Amino acid sequence: MLQVALVGSGGFAKEHAAALQRQEGVSIKYVVGSNRRRLQDFLSHTPGSEATTDFNDVLNDPSVEAVDICNRTAQHAPMAIAAALAGKHVHVDKPATLSVEAFDEMVAAARSTNVTLTVGQTVRFQPIIERLKSSIDGNEIGAPKLLHVSWYTGHTWPSAWRGWQMDSEQSGGHPVHNGSHIMDLATWLMGSAPVEVMTRGFNSFATEMPIPDSFSMITRFANGGLATLELSYALTRRGDSHRRIVVAGQTGTIFHDTADDTELSSQTTLPAPPSTVGALDSQLKHWIGRARGTEEPIINLHEVRASLAAVIAAQKSLVTGNPVPILENGEFS
Amino acid sequence: MINKKLRVAFSSAVRHAEPYLELLKSDERVELVGICEDAAAPEWMVRTGQEVAEKYGLSWHLSLDSLLGSEEVDLIVVCSEPTRHAQLALQVMAKGVNVLIDKPAAVTLEDAVLLESEAKKQNVVCTVVNRTHAPALRRLRSMVDAGDLGLPLHLDMEFFASGAFFSTSVEVPELVVDPRLSGGGEMMNFLGYCIDAIRYVTGLEVENIYAMSGALFSDLHSEHNVEDCAVVSIKMSYGVTSTVTVGRIPRAPGFGPTSSSLRVLGSHASAVADDDRPAALVFSKDGSVESRSFDGGAEALRAYLDHVVSVLTDGGVPEYSISDARANISVIDAAYKSVEERTPQVPL
Repeated sequence: MLQVALVGSGGFAKEHAAALQRQEGVSIKYVVGSNRRRLQDFLSHTPGSEATTDFNDVLNDPSVEAVDICNRTAQHAPMAIAAALAGKHVHVDKPATLSVEAFDEMVAAARSTNVTLTVGQTVRFQPIIERLKSSIDGNEIGAPKLLHVSWYTGHTWPSAWRGWQMDSEQSGGHPVHNGSHIMDLATWLMGSAPVEVMTRGFNSFATEMPIPDSFSMITRFANGGLATLELSYALTRRGDSHRRIVVAGQTGTIFHDTADDTELSSQTTLPAPPSTVGALDSQLKHWIGRARGTEEPIINLHEVRASLAAVIAAQKSLVTGNPVPILENGEFS
Repeated sequence: MINKKLRVAFSSAVRHAEPYLELLKSDERVELVGICEDAAAPEWMVRTGQEVAEKYGLSWHLSLDSLLGSEEVDLIVVCSEPTRHAQLALQVMAKGVNVLIDKPAAVTLEDAVLLESEAKKQNVVCTVVNRTHAPALRRLRSMVDAGDLGLPLHLDMEFFASGAFFSTSVEVPELVVDPRLSGGGEMMNFLGYCIDAIRYVTGLEVENIYAMSGALFSDLHSEHNVEDCAVVSIKMSYGVTSTVTVGRIPRAPGFGPTSSSLRVLGSHASAVADDDRPAALVFSKDGSVESRSFDGGAEALRAYLDHVVSVLTDGGVPEYSISDARANISVIDAAYKSVEERTPQVPL
């Protein structure tokens, strides 16, 4: 039985808890948070787990082999580094952290104790994304050179909303907080590091919100490729979603639109499109496999580093209104 | 009201003349009368004009003066290579004749300004081929105008030409890749359609633009140092934003030579206009699949030419003016400057 500690007690931590409990041979020994009452409530989702506000309880418990960190972003790096240095395999929610330097320290800590570090780029595990990636890797469209992703949701990020996300100091800004999904997707599908990004944002509902709920990025990649990446929460019906992806390669194009995969039409229920379901389970299963040494990494850290650098640049572009160069040294550094 | 047929002639016939002739010849309100080409034009252009004139049974002339001296003409369609559009259109207007210019109206902002000023001076119609009569775009505009979307917040425009259709949709490759003929790459060729669509749907102007471009796919474009694709970030008036993804890619995600779609996010709803949807799909026994859409580029062209003929027959003016084209070209001009200077630009 793999003993795991789960860090975080928010909405997304609950989803992680549920997904971890669906894995075979996994037990959540600790749930770690800062608010004791909230933690006690959380235990109803993880029967048999122990709640603690002291992360040292986890670090000092040799029976805990792996730590899943899904609390606020600013806490990711110090907790991931401490866990790695204590010899625990680490899974950290996206965005991995708020700076490339902090990410490098996380990687160095994991390498120093020979444990795995996995960043929760959930989108890679969505069924249609796996299909797009396998088509690209199978050379069905030649080398990908142009990407257009339009990704719209109604009307705020579901199940994971907290006030700190409005504070760019804590969340990195919206291009970092949620843009890390679409930028990682772009980096992975294009197989190249973003080298320039230009961002523009807009507020759709709460016009006084300090960070825009919607933004678009145009991006240039080290291989010369280009991408238009749009992320918006402007759809008016809560839970609605529309995602359209076009990847043009040197011999063909691959295309998906969630408008094509409606399964249930209901006045009361808006399920996720079947092209996206089951991703978190697959992601955590992969992480467990990584911790046990039975799986090769799907989420390579140099790719995560490149996309993290890109979303940090995207936030800078959003603030300045100017394009921002990302890396001068070509492919993933 | 003109009680006779609209007499239409062509100045040059090297680019897009045949599809325009096909549509116009099927219009009972139109009489096609002749084609002229400058005798000093390259031999292949003169030969092309003569061949097209013969194919359609039209009179053939080696100068505009010769054409106008022998035919009564209500409208001249300029179908030269893009770098001669403005020059030929200015000649037509100087004769007091209405002109319809293939897109882009001009390849420099200076020429676009000249066209606008000459049209005003001569008090003639000067309009440009565009896609704002695409039925889906018209429906989208009517939704915006009706307030169905609330206030428009963001537009996401995609326009792709399919390299798979290059040999059948482009008469001579150099017409779109050699800047001496094309005036630029695929931003010059197609960005205007996208800007037209965004301006038409919102009624807003582009305030700031930044483009990234490259020759991603085509050796021909690369050899001529022009882009085959671009991604564009736009700020419009009143804080509305937009992106444009445009270019010629090996295979567009549709069934025809071009595929375009426009998504509009509004404060209270969102909407999509798509060339390829709705459509009926035909699955054949041989394994092929063909789409029968009704809103694509061909329908946009047919509807626009129909509109031009209608308003000129009735003594009116087309909706799309040379001022629209000038505004459009100022955005293309700014997009190219942004690529060159690597900073966002304000269209002049």
